[in-house]
Amino acid sequence: MKLLSSFKKELILASRGFYFYVELIFALVILAVLLFAIPQNFSGTSTEYLYFNLPQEGKEIFKNIILEDDLDTKSEMVEIKAGGKTFNAELIVTDESEIYIVNSEEAVRMLAETHRNIGAVLELDDNNQLHYKYYLQGYESTRLKNLISILFNESTDVLKERIENQDVRPLSTGYEPLNDRENTIPPLVAFSGSLMGMFIMASYIFLDKKEGVIKAYAVTASSVWQYLMSKIFVVLLTSVVSGIIITMPVMGFSINYGLLLLLLLTTGFFASSLGLLIASFYNDLVKAFGVIYLILILMMVPSIAYFIPGWDPVWIKIIPSYPMLQGFKEIILPNGDIAYPLIASAGFLTAGIVLFAITNIRFKKTLSV
Amino acid sequence: MLKRIWTIFIRDLTVNMREFMTLYMIIIPLVLAVGINFLSPSINDTSVNLALIENENPEQAAYFDDFANVELFSDEQKVEDRVMSRDSVAGILPKDNGYYIMTQGNEPESVLEYAKLLNVLYEADVQLEDARSEIIEFGRTVPPLKKMLVNMLLLLISMLAGMLIAMNILEEKVDQTVSAINVTPTSRSAFILGKSLTGMAVALFSSIACLLITGFYNVNLGQAALVVFSSTILSLLIGFIQGLNSDDVMEAAGSVKLMFLPMAGSIAGYEFVTGNWQIFFYWSPFYWAYKANDMILSKSGTWPQLILFIGIILAICGAVYALLAPRIARKLQ
Repeated sequence: MKLLSSFKKELILASRGFYFYVELIFALVILAVLLFAIPQNFSGTSTEYLYFNLPQEGKEIFKNIILEDDLDTKSEMVEIKAGGKTFNAELIVTDESEIYIVNSEEAVRMLAETHRNIGAVLELDDNNQLHYKYYLQGYESTRLKNLISILFNESTDVLKERIENQDVRPLSTGYEPLNDRENTIPPLVAFSGSLMGMFIMASYIFLDKKEGVIKAYAVTASSVWQYLMSKIFVVLLTSVVSGIIITMPVMGFSINYGLLLLLLLTTGFFASSLGLLIASFYNDLVKAFGVIYLILILMMVPSIAYFIPGWDPVWIKIIPSYPMLQGFKEIILPNGDIAYPLIASAGFLTAGIVLFAITNIRFKKTLSV
Repeated sequence: MLKRIWTIFIRDLTVNMREFMTLYMIIIPLVLAVGINFLSPSINDTSVNLALIENENPEQAAYFDDFANVELFSDEQKVEDRVMSRDSVAGILPKDNGYYIMTQGNEPESVLEYAKLLNVLYEADVQLEDARSEIIEFGRTVPPLKKMLVNMLLLLISMLAGMLIAMNILEEKVDQTVSAINVTPTSRSAFILGKSLTGMAVALFSSIACLLITGFYNVNLGQAALVVFSSTILSLLIGFIQGLNSDDVMEAAGSVKLMFLPMAGSIAGYEFVTGNWQIFFYWSPFYWAYKANDMILSKSGTWPQLILFIGIILAICGAVYALLAPRIARKLQ
């Protein structure tokens, strides 16, 4: 009962403050960005510069092969500048790349160097065999360079046919990938909702420390844990509301909101308890700023792994935001794994309880800290 | 006038050093710069992950290792377990007449295509020694991802500088010393400049140090300092108005969160939005600062271009100041 009345009081106080509304406005702005600025699928096109140092017939053959993939099967004559010079080029746009066919090797070299894209020259060697000369920037990985160097040892048609005939055996079926817009939801919900709770919780506590509220609690019938928990409830409420504001208009009713609510609450509880623990060591936000900031940055590192599927080192998996991101992703994935967010929620709840218990002991001992 | 500005600056610097805030703001970007150095090589070297059975075909494993990240497991079940893990891994396993590719079913298409291509090249016995290609490199060693992270760090530094100003003003408000300025010979503009110098000095120092730590010592540091200086002016302006508007630390914290939005949006816009849509980000000085930094880090720009970008940033700052000046004046009274 005391906890409920403390929560009501905190909620009334929060609703009078500026921050409560900032959270909601922030969630609405993110939603607007998601709906209107982030396309469903990013056009991840690459740019390439090609020069066919071949007889006219050879040039036509290669150009026509590339033209088959052009979006409207027509090329366009354009001018591109590099190194103070203007080069004429024939532009072919495919699903995956913009290919500029130019008239000299110098053009390929200058364009590749100036615009930092890949360039290639096709020519015949002394044995009348095709020879490929690639212009790369230098920072490409050795493995990529290895692949590029042998890529055209076999004829493209043979490669295509063999690739299509490869025996691929998926262990699970019915998987539908998220589009780019949906794929950006987990980091936004995790960072804007759950993890910011740590920062906000610490800020709340520092404000109350300054105003002597924590000391005042020592002479009331209410216990410190109830006071701390009521604060956490306010942060959880804002994080749940902002999480749902971001998710619902994009995902509609196609996801399990019970699971989403569970993970939002448990991750928010964990982050808030962490914020409380940090706050128990410092007098004000300025002093705690360094620790909070470094933890927030550390928590952001798994988002790199989230967006780069091949980069997933073991050490990154022990950072709490990794299971947060993966948990939110599983929830919004069609046919996602239900067990993962449940296990993650149990983990965050347990960790949150432990952190909260330690914080409670610290606050009891050092009411004025 | 200059002496008073200097006095306010020295006083702020002393107070900030005592409270660790300035030290944090100097140290945190440096730690992040070291972190970027640590992360970027392994990210740049990222390739497709393949899982194979150990000793089943050592020659094949060695072949794939030239093109992909190969992990070896004792039996098929262990390979399956690895494929089922959360990251993207394709297994290549023996069958009666060759090899098949085992996937979890949720890998990006590019991962699957890469695995198929490698398997085809191996089956066709295409060896590196037989390469019919020549690779010419321009000698660049900094990958685009590292450049992007350093650019983000530079913007973050100017944001932190703005926060420092906000915290300084807030401190004055809490101590109720802002109104006391009115009865001193110090003018309001001198007070504003004095309160801003610490943030600017910290931003300049941290930016240059981060560029040096991350290996960008051969970029034009003068150009970089100019961009940092101009973007800090905006952060400073926002920081100043935040500091004046906020009555407590919660409000300042909320304002900081709001400040991150245009910065993050501008970076995302520059990096991901193509063609004519970039026009929607022209209003943001962070967009121009990011663009100018990108030009400097790429060593691809010219002074006239840089001056144009800085001019745009300063013009936007001027417009923001013109809008906010009456408010600042009112709050200082």
